[in-house]
Amino acid sequence: MARITRRQLTNLLGALGVVVTLAGLAFGLPALDRSLPSLRAVPADQPYPIGAGVTVVPPAGSTVDLTGTRPGTQEGKALFRLGPVQYAIDVRPFAGDLMSAAERLRKRITGTPGYQVTGAQLGVATADGLAGVQGSYTAPGRGGRYAVYVTGGLTIEITISGADLDLGRSLPLIEDSAKTLRHDGETG
Amino acid sequence: MTTEVVRPARDSAEAATLMRIPAFWIMLGLLAAGAVRMSQIAGRFFTAYPLATATSVALFALLAVPFWFFVTELDFLEREPTGLLVLAFAWGGLVATAVSIPGSAALEDLVAKLGSPHLAADWGAALAGPTVEEIAKTLGVVAIVLIARAQINSVLDGIVYGAMVGLGFQIVEDVVFSLAAVSLAGQGDRVQPVVATFLVRGFLSGIWSHTLFGALGGAGLGYLVVHRDRSRSHRIGVALLAVFGAWASHVLWNSPIFSDGLGNGLPGLLAVLLLKGLPPLVLVLLIVRRVHDKEADYYVGRLAALGDAELITDDELSVLGSGARRAAARRHARVRAGRPAQAAVRRMQRAQAHLAVELSRESVSTDHPCAEIRKQRAVLVDLGHPEAVTGPRSWRHTASTAITTAVAIAVLFVALSALGGG
Repeated sequence: MARITRRQLTNLLGALGVVVTLAGLAFGLPALDRSLPSLRAVPADQPYPIGAGVTVVPPAGSTVDLTGTRPGTQEGKALFRLGPVQYAIDVRPFAGDLMSAAERLRKRITGTPGYQVTGAQLGVATADGLAGVQGSYTAPGRGGRYAVYVTGGLTIEITISGADLDLGRSLPLIEDSAKTLRHDGETG
Repeated sequence: MTTEVVRPARDSAEAATLMRIPAFWIMLGLLAAGAVRMSQIAGRFFTAYPLATATSVALFALLAVPFWFFVTELDFLEREPTGLLVLAFAWGGLVATAVSIPGSAALEDLVAKLGSPHLAADWGAALAGPTVEEIAKTLGVVAIVLIARAQINSVLDGIVYGAMVGLGFQIVEDVVFSLAAVSLAGQGDRVQPVVATFLVRGFLSGIWSHTLFGALGGAGLGYLVVHRDRSRSHRIGVALLAVFGAWASHVLWNSPIFSDGLGNGLPGLLAVLLLKGLPPLVLVLLIVRRVHDKEADYYVGRLAALGDAELITDDELSVLGSGARRAAARRHARVRAGRPAQAAVRRMQRAQAHLAVELSRESVSTDHPCAEIRKQRAVLVDLGHPEAVTGPRSWRHTASTAITTAVAIAVLFVALSALGGG
């Protein structure tokens, strides 16, 4: 049986050091991330910045999920959770019109295996009079709503998802929140 | 010239030698795991967007070709084994990317949790990406050192392996980014987002991207391995400084500094690109030039000591140490005696470089490179062009350089316009 030389042992330890460091990056950091709470309470009576000058008043009783919230100057996103229901808002620069923005979001939704857009697309407006369109979709074990607005060179996309029963309870609160969307006219 | 600049390899990375090295098997295992993970990601993209995925892979694979040749040409005199270069490239494209995707996302979330979502939005990409990615890429050069330490015999070798790891990472990351753009566009299996990403990330960001950062980190590891005349703490300090430099260059590039641009239009956008990208590019080019020239002096010195004009003349000695002069000598041979002479000069330069490396290793037999040099010399004599030297600068070469520069500027203009700078 061949003996392991001191040189091979050193080499093995070095290689294991590489593996441990890689494991720390690939699994250790995500584990550390998961060990810290990601939900923070948000006041339900104050506008919350989504990004690029867009704000929304969150639904009463909701929390913001920090892993899905990045309020940047040129674009941004926010992820609120109302119990098991997710309420996500994405703001991005966009050069097209409302219909092309809605088509883009619908294609992204239906691009996910198992997701289907259901029913007709309807008009919707915020309290400030910003016009948009909204619709609904289904996915295995859950349902969802979406809404799109275009203003000031930005597209504002709202997606709401959860189990049908939870969605039915939370939707009125979230729809009230969506009406408070505002864009101050400045991106950054 | 002392051997402080170059530590000649005593053995080569032969398969039988590699089989006995534990790190080799562990590296293969990591590459296999990375390949499985990245194949899963690629498979999902290919199922959803087959045309865009194929276009993206083809475009960015083509982009890798000039980078590959440029990096390997840096090390003309003492070429690295192709197998090790492929391993370094694969580490960057499979292992470093597979580790960086979850690691960077988690670190950015930690910035949001421990700092604020605003901090993560503004600085998350600048802090998380470079921290995880530079470590993962540097470990690729460490892995090369572990399996073939003898092949790292100059700082330039560290640069070459670091650049190859960075190149692999850059190409795979660009493919993933371009397909994410396709997904975000929500227009189905279209190639326009891929082409836009190719222009922006390939041309505008390509020069000062991961290949550059990897080269900087690799230079530090090369110094750590080669300069045994220095104290261990000094060498570790230099290596850490180089990796920190790579990290800092990456942070600067990803940072929101000047994100609003420096004025409107193309000049403002170009100014931002230059301000962020030029300092590390100039730094790496200066390091490469210095270590390349030192290595060239070392190997050319070995050939000069032979004093055999049939193997290499005095004028050929001055040509062999410079990539530009080697290329000029090949062009001159073609102008004077046609393509056969150009090919013979290329073969003779390679054989002369091979001989220099064998001399540095104090090899028992240098018969093979000597025979090859004499063979190519005879061909050149028959063609009436006996010496591989440079000639006067031709108008064709000047015109070709001018046209290439004009095309590069035009491509840059198109890319900047696509980015919205126009």
